[in-house]
Amino acid sequence: MLIGTEPRGAVEDGPRATGQEARAAARVAELERRLGDPTDEHNELSYARLLAADEAGELSAAGERALDELGLGADFVPRALGGRLERLDTLVRVMRQVFRRDVALGLGYGVTSFMAAVNVWTSGDDPQRERLARILTGGGKVSVAYHELAHGNDFVRNEFEARPADGGGFRLHGAKQVINNAERADAWVLFSRTSPAPGSRSHSVLLVERAGLDPDSWRVLPRYDAVGVRGCHLSGLRFDGTPVPGSALVGERGKGVETALRAFQITRSALPGMAVGTTDTALRTVVRFALGRQLYRRSVMEIPHARDTLSGAFTDLLTCDILSLAATRAVHLLPEQTSVFAAATKYLVPKVLTEAMHELSVVLGARFYIRDGEHGIFQKHLRDLPVLSLGHAGSAACQATIIPQLSRLARRSWFSDEPAPAELFQPRTGLPGLPYDRLTLASGRDALCATLVAAVDRLPDASPEERAVQGLVLQLVDELRQVQEASRALAPEDRTALAGPAVFALADRYAVLLAAAAATGVWQQAARDGGDAFLADPAWLAAVLHRLARRLGRRPADLPPSVAARLHEEVLRRFRERTSYDLYDTPLAG
Amino acid sequence: MPVPTAGHTTESLTTWLAERIALYLKRRPTEIDPDVPLAEYGLDSVAALSLCGDIEDDFDLVIEPTAAWDYPTVHALADHLVAELAAQDGGA
Ligand SMILES: Cc1cc2nc3c(=O)[nH]c(=O)nc-3n(C[C@H](O)[C@H](O)[C@H](O)COP(=O)(O)OP(=O)(O)OC[C@H]3O[C@@H](n4cnc5c(N)ncnc54)[C@H](O)[C@@H]3O)c2cc1C
Repeated sequence: MLIGTEPRGAVEDGPRATGQEARAAARVAELERRLGDPTDEHNELSYARLLAADEAGELSAAGERALDELGLGADFVPRALGGRLERLDTLVRVMRQVFRRDVALGLGYGVTSFMAAVNVWTSGDDPQRERLARILTGGGKVSVAYHELAHGNDFVRNEFEARPADGGGFRLHGAKQVINNAERADAWVLFSRTSPAPGSRSHSVLLVERAGLDPDSWRVLPRYDAVGVRGCHLSGLRFDGTPVPGSALVGERGKGVETALRAFQITRSALPGMAVGTTDTALRTVVRFALGRQLYRRSVMEIPHARDTLSGAFTDLLTCDILSLAATRAVHLLPEQTSVFAAATKYLVPKVLTEAMHELSVVLGARFYIRDGEHGIFQKHLRDLPVLSLGHAGSAACQATIIPQLSRLARRSWFSDEPAPAELFQPRTGLPGLPYDRLTLASGRDALCATLVAAVDRLPDASPEERAVQGLVLQLVDELRQVQEASRALAPEDRTALAGPAVFALADRYAVLLAAAAATGVWQQAARDGGDAFLADPAWLAAVLHRLARRLGRRPADLPPSVAARLHEEVLRRFRERTSYDLYDTPLAG
Repeated sequence: MPVPTAGHTTESLTTWLAERIALYLKRRPTEIDPDVPLAEYGLDSVAALSLCGDIEDDFDLVIEPTAAWDYPTVHALADHLVAELAAQDGGA
């Protein structure tokens, strides 16, 4: 069933589109205003205070208060149910303001609840949706309890049981571990075994409210200490025969794996892009350092290697935001295709963001090792960021979602599919509602790579930058051809999670090509529209494609010097004018 | 592996499926007991989706991507495919 108020199918434009964009921009600005300048030490949400909370292993109380006042829980609830959720890319943009300051707060206050809620928006009935909407808009939290230490990513073997009981209810038996907010959530989404048979029809999703449970039959397990996101309340739950009513069942009995895989397509598309804000802060911190620090009678910023590293990090941030944009908008526009896009995003974005942080740490030098002071936030973000890769399907598990689909994509889609609609690549254009019922488990289609292939004949070649882009696109299309050949030739034993390591490398190359395709699409639309002078300039695209081509082991020709100059100028401008290092150039409080 | 063309029977499909699944799992076809759930052999849920894709391509038959979840043994799946193929031939 469809949730949301917008008509499905047609993409709207005109005044209603402006409505969505206006609401998104206003909400982002509202968060920025309330959260304030994080470099101002008098701000109760300054980096210094956030660091102190982290050292104490607590979530910032002032931060939670601010998010309560902002009613952030409503951002996870569809508009039709009284919340603010209408677009996934907008949610990413909003959450980015929190992730800029503190990953633990983003995860611990919000994202956990969103991950839980998506199961109910996707497969729940009306009373469940309304109950959950009430909890979240009222400032409550919901845990998502999939994970069991014994089984990790192999969740189809999970043992936690909801035993069908007389009268249509269930009795809960077993434990869930490393669950965010387990001890303080008002409700938990519990991935539970409802049949002892092996396979993918033996689990169900339950929405269980804490209120009214028999208090003697369940308990919260001890908290875990983690290296990063130290303020998060990671614990577990143990139940011993706790009765719950039949109305707790979300979707049909035995359809839990399907519900989960559908919900994952939404959450895996959305989560990684939130952390673009985290690496943005890291870049900003290093720019400040590089401009201020004098060595060899010049600033660090004047050292070519340092300057290049900073521009490279900005390029990576754009790449990550673009893949995130395409994946989140694809959920609305190409729901049948999102299974691979979501996995590729969850695989590649955290990886590129983490690598960018490590490169930036070289420029920050010894300061990156210091826990407090002006640059202390850098090491915290560096510690916190890997949770994006680890939690909610590890990198290898995401590659394992792509691998079984490669041979089919090679035979049926690449070089023959239709390019994606233009709206996929337009960050500020309105979208139809989230079509939860049209998400499919495996697609065999890929309109993103088709966009890259179609670009070959359409790219202009007037300027040196445009010619550089054209040459790079040709190389990338050649790479797609090679990925296609290798995928076609995959033996059946290389089409499961047991595939050889070379096949995981193939999934990596494909994810990189998806990012390149999305970047090409974004530039084509921005150049046509012309509203954003930076995005309309081919210089950034040349830089993005060049970096991706090198990542693929290619040795593309050197870029015209104007490209580096343009990026450097933009890195400085956005630092001085305090705007974000992503597609939106959002005004920031600090 | 030869793809059967016409006159599918439960036997021919059982053989085809056992061979294909054995390849996925790096085992010998004789090791695949047609009445043991595929998950017992370690065929994960995503690979089961991929099996359905292979069936679609090789038999030119549209089936639910989750068919191998609902018919979780070689025998059950073979029976299901025979019925689907018959329905398709009859309906076409
Ligand atoms: C900070 C934090 C918060 C968390 N919060 C929650 C929460 O709120 N709710 C919740 O349910 N869980 C939560 N988790 C748990 C998290 O979901 C699991 O840790 C995660 O799913 C992966 O499990 P694992 O690392 O044990 O990996 P395992 O599955 O044990 O994998 C180990 C390794 O095996 C390989 N591997 C695994 N699967 C595959 C595959 N399919 N193909 C190829 N190789 C593979 C990979 O190399 C992988 O790294 C949290 C974890 C952390 C760190």
